[in-house]
Amino acid sequence: MDKKGAVLMHKYELGRLLGQGTFAKVYYARCLSTGQSVAIKIIDKEKILKVGLINQTKREISIMRLVRHPNIVQLYEVMASRTKIYFVMEYVRGGELFNKISKGRLKQDVARKYFQQLISAVDFCHSRGVYHRDLKPENLLLDENGNLKVSDFGLSALHESRRQDGLLHTTCGTPAYVAPEVINKKGYDGAKADIWSSGVVLYVLLAGFLPFHDANIMELYRKISRGEFKCPHWLPPEVRKLLSKILDPNPHTRINVSELMENCWFQKGYKQSENGGLLDREEEMHSSPSTPRDVRAAFEQHFEGNPEKSEESSSMKPTCMNAFDIISLSPGFNLSSLFEKDLIQTAEARFSTTQSTSTIVSKFEQIAEMERFKIKMKDGMVKLESIKEGRKGQLAIDAEIFEIAPSLHVVELKKAAGDTIEYNNFCNQDLRPALKDIVWAWQGSLPLEQQQQEQTV
Amino acid sequence: MGCFHSKRVRRTPQYEDHTILAAETPFTVSEVDALHVLFKKLSCSIIDDGLIHREELLLALFRNSKERNLFADRIFDLFDVKRNGVIGFEEFVRSLGVFHPNASVEEKISFLFRLYDLRHTGFIEQEELKEMVLALLHESNLVLSEDVIEMIVNKTFSDTDSKGDGKIDLEEWKEFVLKHPSLIKNMTLPYLKDITLAFPSFVVSSEVEDSEM
Repeated sequence: MDKKGAVLMHKYELGRLLGQGTFAKVYYARCLSTGQSVAIKIIDKEKILKVGLINQTKREISIMRLVRHPNIVQLYEVMASRTKIYFVMEYVRGGELFNKISKGRLKQDVARKYFQQLISAVDFCHSRGVYHRDLKPENLLLDENGNLKVSDFGLSALHESRRQDGLLHTTCGTPAYVAPEVINKKGYDGAKADIWSSGVVLYVLLAGFLPFHDANIMELYRKISRGEFKCPHWLPPEVRKLLSKILDPNPHTRINVSELMENCWFQKGYKQSENGGLLDREEEMHSSPSTPRDVRAAFEQHFEGNPEKSEESSSMKPTCMNAFDIISLSPGFNLSSLFEKDLIQTAEARFSTTQSTSTIVSKFEQIAEMERFKIKMKDGMVKLESIKEGRKGQLAIDAEIFEIAPSLHVVELKKAAGDTIEYNNFCNQDLRPALKDIVWAWQGSLPLEQQQQEQTV
Repeated sequence: MGCFHSKRVRRTPQYEDHTILAAETPFTVSEVDALHVLFKKLSCSIIDDGLIHREELLLALFRNSKERNLFADRIFDLFDVKRNGVIGFEEFVRSLGVFHPNASVEEKISFLFRLYDLRHTGFIEQEELKEMVLALLHESNLVLSEDVIEMIVNKTFSDTDSKGDGKIDLEEWKEFVLKHPSLIKNMTLPYLKDITLAFPSFVVSSEVEDSEM
């Protein structure tokens, strides 16, 4: 059936076939209104109903919603008709990573970069309780900037789908990337199995061939279960050591993600550099004309002088709320709570305080110093950025100060960058307790007692 | 049982509704299907009758059906277009359509105007503004002196009432919102772009014909 040129849901125009498998065909498509390129996976509903995969598919859609990461192919939306399910996904231009090594093994630095990006994606998913379970060459793609994108994370029900083009298809259906405990069909730990597969990928990138290889499949199984592989002589000792920790057939003694990320060889050059936005922000931070101390000094002057009149350059002037702004604070008016199952996960929080702006600001400075955050102030906004590298880049928090009356301020906290789980942990364990002395009341959809209860659960 | 019906595929009323709703709102058919999953969940939380009652909306917003809240009440009243005390699916989808990131700013501004026009006079009066400010301060446990409240309300009211006739009409309201765009922040729900992933069960039940995709 030729679908080219068809328009789906008045929204996407289908283009060429990109690949197909047992349950699905993947097409290139373009969003009519925005022109954005996407890949649309069209799944035959009847077929997956027949093999009983429909519930798993539903579950996996919800999971995909949680895993948004620069190194993971994003699922944008799902559509459905009577007979088909459509997955609208990020279109990745650069083809499969393994096309690269068809021209020979990669330089160590290049291989390391891809491996770091792979592990970054794997670690992020594991933190959300999502395991890939089937990491292999055709799931590793490159975007136009040469960054790695893992596809089908959380979609293991549909893993059978294969691409038409692309190399190394000989490996499909062989267990070359699969951990021994998976082959042996023991109950296994998805996290450790993903680590194993990542190790095989790393080996292939560095060596240009598979660590476990045999024409006889039983012999291949045997080699995998014993972790029997040889490193080419050109691999430096620290890489060999790392590989032997990853390709350890015993999942209990195999290295875990956090140990792996602390490994010296892995660490080299690991700075989430793929996230260009962070660098820009950092520069902005440095070029800030006023260090915190200057701001405070400016404030003190401001308050010693005539507070009514001084309109001048102090960069810390809270935004004044008019009566309609004040009304709009009501949670009764915030319908997002209809869509959030878990209110604690909200990325925004607000508290009121009877303290002066300068007290609020110096509280944030104390917190920044204690928690090792960089701090910057601009137009009633306090910006905090962690010095530590997080799971999804540095954590950054914006605290905007609003004035309702000189005696009453409202501070709005928002995650500006970084991992949501890390943000929530920081807010609940560090930020909220540290702000205790200046908070009059936390505002939000829940009364405070209830909020605290839910938090302790 | 005889076969009285023609061979044409019979469509359920739901299918027709969803296609029409999709055509007349910013949502695709699949998004309407997904909203139906949410609607079913909300409408059976207290009384399982396929309609959202006031208490059910309050329960969803506050995890408490007894909560008194002026603004949630106003939201309910505006969603209840037919004014029959309950929100049906069509009302739900059409009203949420205004909150879609792609809905027009114009629509959002006028929805909010009607929300703030507590007494349905076609104007926002100073009394109404004050009543809403007091309600917010009360529900948030915020204490301000009578003078300060009066000052805030007066200032905002006279800034908005550019014609100076003692009441805010839709035109003055539009002007004011365009100067303070953050006022319609609540009118956009980014979640609405994500509903097919949030409520994926619709993929099983969807009845859209492939020929019409």
